[in-house]
Amino acid sequence: MKLKKMISKVMAAAMVLSAMSMGTMVHAEETVELTFMGWEASPLETKAVEDGIAAFEAEYPNIKVTYTPGLAGAEYNAKILTSAAAGALPDVMFVAAESYRQIAGAGALMELTDMFDSNYSFDDFIESSRTIMDIDGHVYGISSCTVSPIIYYNKDVFDAAGVPYPSSDPAECWTIDEFREVAKSLTTEDVYGIYGLETVQDTLNAQLLSNGGARYNEDFTESIINSPESKEVFETIKAIRVEDGSAPDATTLDAVGMSAAQMLETGKVAMLCDGSWALQELAASGMNIGMAPLPSYGEVLTTGQAHLHCISSTTAHPEEAWQFLQFLSGMDYQGALCKSGLWMPNRYSMYEGEQLEGWYDESVHGDSYRPMLDYFMNAKVDPAALQKSAQARDILMEESDMYFKMDQDIDTTLANIDSRINAAIKDAMAE
Amino acid sequence: MRGSKKAGKLKDDSRWAWLMLAPNIIGFFMFMLVPVVATFVISFFKYDMLTPPKFIGLTNYITMFHDPIVWQVTRNTLIYTLITVPVGMAISLVLAVMLDQKIAFRRFYRAAFFLPSITSMVVVAIVWQWLYNPEFGLINYFLSLFGIKGPKWLLNAHTSLLSLAIVGIWKNAGYNMIIFLSGLQGISTSYYEAAKLDGAGTWQQFRYITLPLLTPTTFFIFVMAVIGSFQVFDQVMLMTEGGPGRSSSVLVHYLYQNAFQYFKLGYACAIAYLLFFIIMAITIFNMRMEKKMRDVY
Amino acid sequence: MGKNKKYLAVQIIAHVILIIGAFTMLVPFFWMLSSSLKSLGEVFVFPPKLFGERLVWENYTHISGRFNYFNYFMNSVKVSVWVVFFQVMTSASAGFVFAKLNFPGRDKIFLLYLGTMMIPFHVTVITNYLQMSRYGLVNTLWSLMLPASVSAFGTFLMRQFFITVPSELIDAAKIDGCNPLMIFFRIALPLAKSTIATLCIFCFMNVWNDYFTPLIYLNNDRKYTLPLGLARMKGMYSTDWPVLMAASVIAVLPVLIAFLFAQDAFVKGVMMSGLKD
Repeated sequence: MKLKKMISKVMAAAMVLSAMSMGTMVHAEETVELTFMGWEASPLETKAVEDGIAAFEAEYPNIKVTYTPGLAGAEYNAKILTSAAAGALPDVMFVAAESYRQIAGAGALMELTDMFDSNYSFDDFIESSRTIMDIDGHVYGISSCTVSPIIYYNKDVFDAAGVPYPSSDPAECWTIDEFREVAKSLTTEDVYGIYGLETVQDTLNAQLLSNGGARYNEDFTESIINSPESKEVFETIKAIRVEDGSAPDATTLDAVGMSAAQMLETGKVAMLCDGSWALQELAASGMNIGMAPLPSYGEVLTTGQAHLHCISSTTAHPEEAWQFLQFLSGMDYQGALCKSGLWMPNRYSMYEGEQLEGWYDESVHGDSYRPMLDYFMNAKVDPAALQKSAQARDILMEESDMYFKMDQDIDTTLANIDSRINAAIKDAMAE
Repeated sequence: MRGSKKAGKLKDDSRWAWLMLAPNIIGFFMFMLVPVVATFVISFFKYDMLTPPKFIGLTNYITMFHDPIVWQVTRNTLIYTLITVPVGMAISLVLAVMLDQKIAFRRFYRAAFFLPSITSMVVVAIVWQWLYNPEFGLINYFLSLFGIKGPKWLLNAHTSLLSLAIVGIWKNAGYNMIIFLSGLQGISTSYYEAAKLDGAGTWQQFRYITLPLLTPTTFFIFVMAVIGSFQVFDQVMLMTEGGPGRSSSVLVHYLYQNAFQYFKLGYACAIAYLLFFIIMAITIFNMRMEKKMRDVY
Repeated sequence: MGKNKKYLAVQIIAHVILIIGAFTMLVPFFWMLSSSLKSLGEVFVFPPKLFGERLVWENYTHISGRFNYFNYFMNSVKVSVWVVFFQVMTSASAGFVFAKLNFPGRDKIFLLYLGTMMIPFHVTVITNYLQMSRYGLVNTLWSLMLPASVSAFGTFLMRQFFITVPSELIDAAKIDGCNPLMIFFRIALPLAKSTIATLCIFCFMNVWNDYFTPLIYLNNDRKYTLPLGLARMKGMYSTDWPVLMAASVIAVLPVLIAFLFAQDAFVKGVMMSGLKD
């Protein structure tokens, strides 16, 4: 008898418990959880993304965003591709410009063309962002921002050497010869004039374009780096190090164990060529820096590219994902990251009037960026963003390493880059 | 009567045997046999995970033989093996012989030598990368005490592979030492006593007793070490990513890049089989050698 | 007299060699510890100093935000416990079957196991990845646990042990009415204690320190195991050596402690794995 009573009690308790859990389940259904994947280039960047998500969640209490950072660069692209293949993409994700076409081509990204057109003006986006976003008239992701390689300089080092600051007005920017002279005059026993002309693919590409060279033909089906113009750029960069002695050995950074920003900060280099994203870290360090356009080999220009925010084609919550995507493109998010110096805006309207004042921060951008706004706005699209083979980046790096660090001669290097990238393109396009 | 009982037992065993084997066999089938065959099949396809695979016959293998990178990474892998295996084994053997006698602090020494082999390669990579730092690293500081200007180790194309090999030797020396030690302890002391009576010196004892009797152990370590060094990946990925240029890239690193970075899965599978055939050839060659050596002694 | 002198000389030479060896093996660990307690400025000092001005414990607190140690640690524990348990169980039961039970095709199947032991891991990894991806298990710990639950080497090791168990013991139990499963659990397993311990240690060392498999399967910080978490940290703080060293110190700690407590078991495990035939 007693046992029976006990059993019935337990049963009743179990029923209440399960009813309660059902209740919470119903409640849980009201909040939608979005998974969001991005890369972690620096702790500051992740912090910025997390702040943005918190702001979004405050605005949309029914949506919870779970952010996964972790990988960077080529590894991130690889993970996105494997996740796409496994049908395990997060709802919303960063997609690097250079893998956007491949992933969209595989049908892994939700097409956004209609939603995009009814909410945004395509023509408001700057040319480089438009070129990247648009795949034969379709849009599969919203350009996050734009970033471009520029020159940073340590004002204290310039002052100490009695060298005048460069003009940040692109119309008056240095020619490469003037730049070489300045770098030489800044070089002393403890200080190198310049670092970073060849370390990042973006900066190398911008210099090639400036000299009239090209990475690819019109439709990106052929690598055409082997040209007198490219050769001149490569040789100039190497000469700045070897002949002028005003750039440190390419392995110096690893050798001293410092980051490029630390080198500039500690005055070990007077000038640094790096992407505009570096401004966030440099500005946060509180050092006395200025920014200037890249030296010109002929045409004054920089390149622009940036990752896109995309939605997985298999997401269960397309509406919420779209809301989140819009948030990521809005002033609250993009504006905040622009304000921090990490990003530059990707829409013409953000470069004028009230919107401009909304993100332009004197304490970050100083007075250098105002004359450079057109420079960013009109940046040429980075050829790497449109390349057909994911292998091209590694090939360029390996072969240029062989030239810059190991004395492989320039003609072999350029010929190797072309033949290896062309083989990779042929392989990627063969069906 | 007896025969029928035996047959009955056999039948019983069979049922139980399959039942007890089942978990193992299923796993073995799914994660070992099928993949081995499937990898071979995929090596005749062009496959990028995103689009359906396409049969291309021997193209991957033909491409492989014309791919200068494949040749270079194979050469690098071979050089890595040629450095780590003999040097590593010699060090392990010396340490084992030293420890195989009544000596003070034996446990301490053994623990010290063994420590690197239980340490994660990620930790090892971080520490050694810092030790190798050309400006502030301990190694070049040590060399500078002798007036030697140390090289740039991992950052120089001529020394990067050597640097990785040193780490490999350092990490595995203790492990192989232990196996040598177990081989040494298996040699009966009566041999040495007999040799002493014949007036053999320490070196002679080592040369004519220890080495020959240690042959099976030596071959075992040799085969395992060669197989291991042909599959080296962790320190390459963690310390140099194959650089500068391609100077320290190895077979498995190139396989990894093709499979998980460039999504040329068919090609990666072909590289996997190249690795397989190289290892098989070496193992078979070793077995032949061991047999011959046994006949000699 | 002369003999004693010679003995002494040999001892001294041995100690010199051993001390140099031990020094080489241990210095990296000391250096890791000492660097983890320096400030960033102090590691960039030439000639290097053993210790900085003061011990910078902040390096350890600094990583707590970025290096989810507890999380990684628990993932590593989960994977290791699962793999060790299942690998040992599947290996022991199959090893027992191959050694002590009669059934048609037994030796052929065992030969198949033997044959695969030579196959490099990387031959199977790509297809296993594709399988895991099809089952939706990529980026879960299952992708690390399932394929490692079975091991041809473990099966071989256990079979080699069970072969040495006298058949009379098994037959006697059979006559007492035990079925093979009971014999396995009641008689064979207890006998195999030391071989099982060997396999456990072997298996644990491999799984706990594995870097390659998590590298290809996992892409979510919450799923990382210790080695992968540390490797990611290395990518992020590539130049902040004291912080990296601090993370390395705490990553290496669990195995170090386990080793110090069970040195003999570790050593014995390796010794047995090297025994041929």
